[in-house]
Amino acid sequence: MSQNNDPEGYRGELRERLIRENIRTWSKVKVKKDNATYEGLLLPRSVHTDDDYITLKVDTGYNLGILVNDATIIEEIGYQKGNYKLPHIDVEFKEELPNVTLLGTGGTVASRLDYRTGAVIPAFTPEELFSAVPELSSIVNLTPKTLYEILSENFRPDYWVKTAESIAKEIESGADGVIIGHGTDTMCVTGAALAYFLRNLPVPVVLVGSQRSSDRPSSDGARNILYSAQLAGYENFAEVVINMHGGTSDSYNLIHRATRCRKMHSSRRDTFRTLSDIPLGKIDDEGVTWFKKDVKPRTPVEDFQLDVKIDDRVGILYFYPGQNPDMLDSMVDMGYHGVVFIGTGLGHVGTDVYPALERCQEEEIPVVMVVEPLTGFIQLRVYETGRDMLARGVIEGGNMLPSAAYTKLIWVLGHTRDINEVERLMQTPVAGEITYRETVRGFMHLQGIEHGIDEILKNL
Amino acid sequence: MLDPNNLNFEKLGFQAGIEVHHQIKSKRKLFCHCPLILEDDPENMDYSFYRYFRPVLGEMGDFDPGMLVEFEKGYKVIYYACEHNTCTYEMDETPPFSPDPEAIMKGYILAAYFNCTAFAEELVVNRKQYLDGSITTGFQRTFISGRDGWVPLANDRKVRISNVYIEEDAARRVNWTDTASRTVYFNLDRLGFPLTEIITDHLDINTPEDLLEVAKQIGRVLRLSGIGRRGSGSARQDVNISISGGDRVEIKGVQDLKLFDKFCRHEVVRQHALIEIKDEMHKRGIKKEDFQHTYIDISHLFEFGEKKVFATVFPNMKGLFGVEVQPNKDFGLDIFDKSMLISGIHRENQFHSDELEANAVRKRSKYPSSFNINDEKYQQICSILKPKSNDVFIITAGPERKAIHALKKIVERVKMALDGVPQETRRLLPDGNTEFLRVIHGKERIYPDTDTPPIVISLEKINEYKKMVGKRPWEVFDDLNSKYNFTQNKVDLLIRDEQLKRFYSLTENRGINGHLAYRLLINIPREWRRKGLEVSNELLEKIGNAISEKILIAQQINNVLNKTAENPEKSFEEILDEIKSVKHSDEEIEEFILSFLSKYNLESLKIDEINQKIAVTKITGFVLEKSNYSREGKYIAEKVIDLIKRGSINEPKQRS
Repeated sequence: MSQNNDPEGYRGELRERLIRENIRTWSKVKVKKDNATYEGLLLPRSVHTDDDYITLKVDTGYNLGILVNDATIIEEIGYQKGNYKLPHIDVEFKEELPNVTLLGTGGTVASRLDYRTGAVIPAFTPEELFSAVPELSSIVNLTPKTLYEILSENFRPDYWVKTAESIAKEIESGADGVIIGHGTDTMCVTGAALAYFLRNLPVPVVLVGSQRSSDRPSSDGARNILYSAQLAGYENFAEVVINMHGGTSDSYNLIHRATRCRKMHSSRRDTFRTLSDIPLGKIDDEGVTWFKKDVKPRTPVEDFQLDVKIDDRVGILYFYPGQNPDMLDSMVDMGYHGVVFIGTGLGHVGTDVYPALERCQEEEIPVVMVVEPLTGFIQLRVYETGRDMLARGVIEGGNMLPSAAYTKLIWVLGHTRDINEVERLMQTPVAGEITYRETVRGFMHLQGIEHGIDEILKNL
Repeated sequence: MLDPNNLNFEKLGFQAGIEVHHQIKSKRKLFCHCPLILEDDPENMDYSFYRYFRPVLGEMGDFDPGMLVEFEKGYKVIYYACEHNTCTYEMDETPPFSPDPEAIMKGYILAAYFNCTAFAEELVVNRKQYLDGSITTGFQRTFISGRDGWVPLANDRKVRISNVYIEEDAARRVNWTDTASRTVYFNLDRLGFPLTEIITDHLDINTPEDLLEVAKQIGRVLRLSGIGRRGSGSARQDVNISISGGDRVEIKGVQDLKLFDKFCRHEVVRQHALIEIKDEMHKRGIKKEDFQHTYIDISHLFEFGEKKVFATVFPNMKGLFGVEVQPNKDFGLDIFDKSMLISGIHRENQFHSDELEANAVRKRSKYPSSFNINDEKYQQICSILKPKSNDVFIITAGPERKAIHALKKIVERVKMALDGVPQETRRLLPDGNTEFLRVIHGKERIYPDTDTPPIVISLEKINEYKKMVGKRPWEVFDDLNSKYNFTQNKVDLLIRDEQLKRFYSLTENRGINGHLAYRLLINIPREWRRKGLEVSNELLEKIGNAISEKILIAQQINNVLNKTAENPEKSFEEILDEIKSVKHSDEEIEEFILSFLSKYNLESLKIDEINQKIAVTKITGFVLEKSNYSREGKYIAEKVIDLIKRGSINEPKQRS
């Protein structure tokens, strides 16, 4: 914290008063008001809180706020600045262990807590990470590197590119596997993009995070990273996967193909689900069980190619009844190069949108249609509407998830803007984003009335 | 060991503080919308799941030592949950909802009841870490409502209330049969109940009696204010105890106030013994580095199959492990409680060589060791360990990793003995002894909850809450004691039975005498309850009104209740009419009087005025009762005097 910012977080009159009375954050203060006396450390004030209050940490370690008015007397009786220095820990390189790189983008699998302010600091140096999850050092030689420190909603396509380039560098330097620490919100989007960028991927790339924050003793982060290290270091597969809790218990993790995976709950540990298919496998303390036979094995590094040509002038439109076609029109006006459209049911949009579709067709802007129900295939030949849409150049997106279609269109448009070629590429699966078959277990959205859901999934 | 029943608390420098945890009456849990329903059978469940916990690094990149010990226990925590009282919040799968406004309000009212001067004008929710599994997040959400209050003690003394907290209650530990087990079970029903924690300054209480009285004062406030939730398990106390030269030891989860005196005495004795052991160790010149983490495998001397047996020598410690630190418990066993809890090796599988002495305390303890070490075995062990004559060895048996873990904890604990009494949280046992539960959590392991923004409680609101405080229990006592000479016990019953408001209404608004009001509201319902019948408050109020309106007299109360019990279908008014309608005629009254009067010598009554007065009062009483108070006492008394004067007694007529 910079000196001139002190007292940190305080605003307006109160701030002026504190400065006038030489009271800083971390001052030990005595506050008197009528017959009440408070003693404690003046803490930095967080944003979006009331201007007239000070926050004190009192002797019990608790925080509380006090309204400062004319009747309040504040007196500095000491000063206690925090001293942040991490202990040095030597992390030993072990010849016999596989080498795994952890690229951090902002999702934290472990944190340090600043008990004084309540701030959560990602634990990211090897020392911190091994302190937080000591078992890691006996599984793999892990090299953590920071790419970004951003919330996952702040990702952009060029960040995917940089992430892929970093992965490529690690692979070429001999990493046996790469783990990407990522915020869970857009983990699947990044995962899908990486799956297209990393051609003939020779080693596993595992995206991982914590769904319940890593600043809590119950966080899923530690187990997720341990299982990810196991997967990245030892397992014979080479795909971009998401490895997160499969159930609410700390029992097993599911291994999802990134292009087929979606976050389905805002907060639960087992939020990630493979749609229209089953997960690739599961991992628990007994090891890995692969459910799918088409898991791509590790391949020689020589075949690996990085293909990060992109065109990010792509947007997603979500169709809803009553949608004004001006939304699509304006995308054309704004010079978008491609649109992923989420259509109702089998992939329909209202007839009001037709003229705008025709404009896209004229301007050779690909409109890739995917389905709002998320599971199941698009099918524009069943109903008249669908055939009308096809006639207006709409490209069927198979059973691609919106995130997989969006990232794919960005990638495809980076290679060609030839509308026929775009259509061909969009409809050809390159990383499992389209399946030609959906078996009965592709739709396992259990409704909570079945007995032992957890057992069913666990024993798949 | 000191005699627990003969302690000079003042001389020993006894100091105590209490933390009263009491559930708050409300409609929902503190941070979610689940109802406050406890399962009758705590093992009830619709589903279950399990978790592991691990400490979070502090800002310095290290762990809190207390947290590390918890992690070392390596618990697998299994939760039982029912759908009707548990949601994804208790499962730690959903962030908290806004805290329950009713519980917040009650927290501030309570702070006002306890005379707090400093209120939290902006409420900040904090997290307090727990790794024992009792809270699914690994931390308890908790906040201060007020500070710097007090409760009075006899002789104008005050005990300071340092803080009033509102927090979420923890899950209920269930299936707690084996302390050594690495799997622990909790039912989530109780998790999230709004709870208040009231903490006294630990310097202010110097005897167990005062401690008990303070606990009672706090309890009275919770009851009188109507804020405390009732029912079993709604209140638990943690007590901090220290003596001069000792240190703060927290005894956790005391539900029964009757045990206070006993465990205070047992803890004083324990701390005193630990100080003596410390002094003796220093006298013998023992240093921490004398105790080495050397674990010697002596499994081959025992036939324990898969189990391994390890031993460590403790130089110069002869006799000290055998010191009785609490009744029927030696220092060795006190240590083994801890090594068992952390490593999972049963204390019966832990042995120290002081146990071989004649009359060893361990042998009469609740948990004697299961080793059978005869002379031959002892010699065999000694031939490997080669202890000197003043050394002690300790043996643990179990799976290799755990057995070594137990010895490691024992070595660490013995080193700590050189510092005297370790700060610990201990579990109370029914016999008044205690055993290790965990290292006292550092207060710095509390940090603000990032999920809940601070809530401003305006000064207007705080003033409003202050106004909602009625008479405090000690004020009620002073009042009723001066008006009616009521004892504290009597006042306590008014508070406990929640009849105080009604009592004041009867005495102050309805002009009923305090003693009668007390009899009506407390004695009579309690007598009836003993007979297995509940007297409703509604009925009590109707009776009170009838007495106040002089429709009914006190002596008729039981008659009303009898008739109500016999004829539950009848209304109060009908019953009243019935009682009124049984009017005994003048002749009948005369008959009653004569039947009693026949036992007296009429002639002497005529002349002896004093005796006459006594007889008249007595007979009037009998007749009143016999006639169900249907006639006024005055009429009967006059009639008695009249009959005495007449001086003739006819044989009572036989009534058909």
